[in-house]
Amino acid sequence: MPDERLAWREQVRRISTGRGLRNRMMTWLLAILLIVAITAAGLLFVRERKLVRSLAALQEDARKREASQAQVIHTTKLASLGQMVAGVAHEINTPLGFVKSNVEVVADLLAEYEQAVTNVMTGVDFLLNADAGIADRAKALVIKARGQLAQATGLNEARELLTDSVDGLKQMSALVLNLKGFARVDRDGMDLIDVNDSIRSSLSIASHQLRDRITVETELGALPPVRCMPSQINQVFLNLITNAAQAMGDEGRLRIRSAAKKEGVEVSVSDNGSGIPDNVLPKIFDPFFTTKKVGEGTGLGLSIVHKIIQGHGGSIRVNSVIGKGTTFFVELPIDSKAQAARAGG
Amino acid sequence: MERSASAPNAPLRILCIDDEMRILRALKALFRDFEVQLCNDPRQAVAMASQFDVDVVICDQRMPQMQGIEVLRELKSSAPRAMRILLTGYADLKAVLGSVNEGEVFRYVNKPWDNAEMRALVTEAGRIARDAAVITADPISERDAAEARTEVGILVLEDDVNSQARLREILAPHYQVRFANNAERALQILEQYETGVVISETESRQGDLTSLLKALKIHHPHIATVVITERANAQTAMELINEGQVYRMLLKPVRMGSCRLSVDSAITRYWKLKRNPRAIQRFAVANLPSFALPPSTISESLLARIKGLPSRIVQIVRFNS
Repeated sequence: MPDERLAWREQVRRISTGRGLRNRMMTWLLAILLIVAITAAGLLFVRERKLVRSLAALQEDARKREASQAQVIHTTKLASLGQMVAGVAHEINTPLGFVKSNVEVVADLLAEYEQAVTNVMTGVDFLLNADAGIADRAKALVIKARGQLAQATGLNEARELLTDSVDGLKQMSALVLNLKGFARVDRDGMDLIDVNDSIRSSLSIASHQLRDRITVETELGALPPVRCMPSQINQVFLNLITNAAQAMGDEGRLRIRSAAKKEGVEVSVSDNGSGIPDNVLPKIFDPFFTTKKVGEGTGLGLSIVHKIIQGHGGSIRVNSVIGKGTTFFVELPIDSKAQAARAGG
Repeated sequence: MERSASAPNAPLRILCIDDEMRILRALKALFRDFEVQLCNDPRQAVAMASQFDVDVVICDQRMPQMQGIEVLRELKSSAPRAMRILLTGYADLKAVLGSVNEGEVFRYVNKPWDNAEMRALVTEAGRIARDAAVITADPISERDAAEARTEVGILVLEDDVNSQARLREILAPHYQVRFANNAERALQILEQYETGVVISETESRQGDLTSLLKALKIHHPHIATVVITERANAQTAMELINEGQVYRMLLKPVRMGSCRLSVDSAITRYWKLKRNPRAIQRFAVANLPSFALPPSTISESLLARIKGLPSRIVQIVRFNS
């Protein structure tokens, strides 16, 4: 009984103080808060999804860009291959010219000599079978044929032509070896190399652009072996050499130096050409920036050089004075395994 | 042994110029039945050529001391009788254009050459050098020049309106210029008017024009061809020299100065040839095993009309009868 009364009184008190109402309001409030929270969470979730998706798109973009950069590296590699082929065609056609001609001429000379030998032999046969009546005539014939054979210079000439030809063949095999070394067709990827070999190989590939008008001076110091992607490093040097050659117009001096540094090697490529104007200098490593006429340059040369050097964890600097010339300094670390792996291509 | 180079049976005198001794020795061996002088310093070439009174000069293009086309340009005036052949390892456009415009080469030969073709070429060049009269580089008199300009027509074969307008502007004030949009019209003009110079594109909207130019050259070698082209490539240019004996090759857009110079000297040459038809074979492509002239791609009827064009040169030497 008192309990009932207590409960009732409590009920009354609650009503009078509005606590029940408050409770109910709290419940509503909680419910609303819950809904808001759920909605917010939902919205957040959706946004998150969107974010994730756009992040994925960004990554995809980055991947594509990287792929297209790899593509660009590949394309310029093809371009430098083309340039190389032109150069090698030029270099190889000269020895090919005289070797081919010599071999044919030697065949003719041998045929002539063979004829002279045959004449002697015929005479000798004649003499051996001759009776006393014609012995004198046979003798005269042999003497004449022998004289002709003694005077025939064909064999000596042939020997000289063959000596030249062997020389020419050696020159051609050296060229092909060099080409293989430059293009690294048989082993792409990382390798330990002497950067000086790379410089020499690039110089010889570029030689057809240089030889008529440009004096090349090299000061190649002893270098520690460098771990790098040789085909890319070759591309860098070929690019710098070609640029220098173009900057020098009709005549000039190309100077290439290499030296060991504390943790890597430094190579400098200098020309005494026109120099790069101040307003152009900051842009030279930008993709598609070019000062050449339409069709002459892709505008990718130095940006690729920059990208490759960066990929190897190295650095490239330029120093240019108008009217005096330009020097590019390339620094490569001794071991650039980690960096180059990212460069791809 | 003193021997006059013009003695018809004396061996040909050939001057070979190359910085590579091994090329020179190979040529000497190839031409061992001729009199061959070797020169591995192009700066000596001019002196050697006149001292030796050469019939044929074979010159390399790329040499450290001097470019082949420079040597040939100098030889053109110092040894005008000699026929000039440029030998190159790699045909770059600059060299090809230079060889025609400056060196006025007879033929352009790539290394590695073919021995049989080279011998045939040099033998023919030597025959021409001894046989054909020399056209000197001296200018003709003012009166002759004026007469040439009024009598001798110039034909422009080009279907690009802008280029036509440009050429009209450059040439019309000075010469009798006639324009043709296509091969058909060009032939009409050639049939109707005496024409000494044909200025032509290498292609029109209707197709290639080079075979027409080559055919015209085979049958009418006295007409000088000046080729104007937009997209020059070394290979086409080389063929135009070897098979079309073009007189000049100009890159578009055509510049007033070089165009006037080319046309002037082309007309002068025509005028001189007209006076001296025995010199014509120097500029001919016929009679040559000439790396076997390729089958022409122009139509039979067009070819027949080209053959039938009136020859306005007195006692013209017929090469292809």
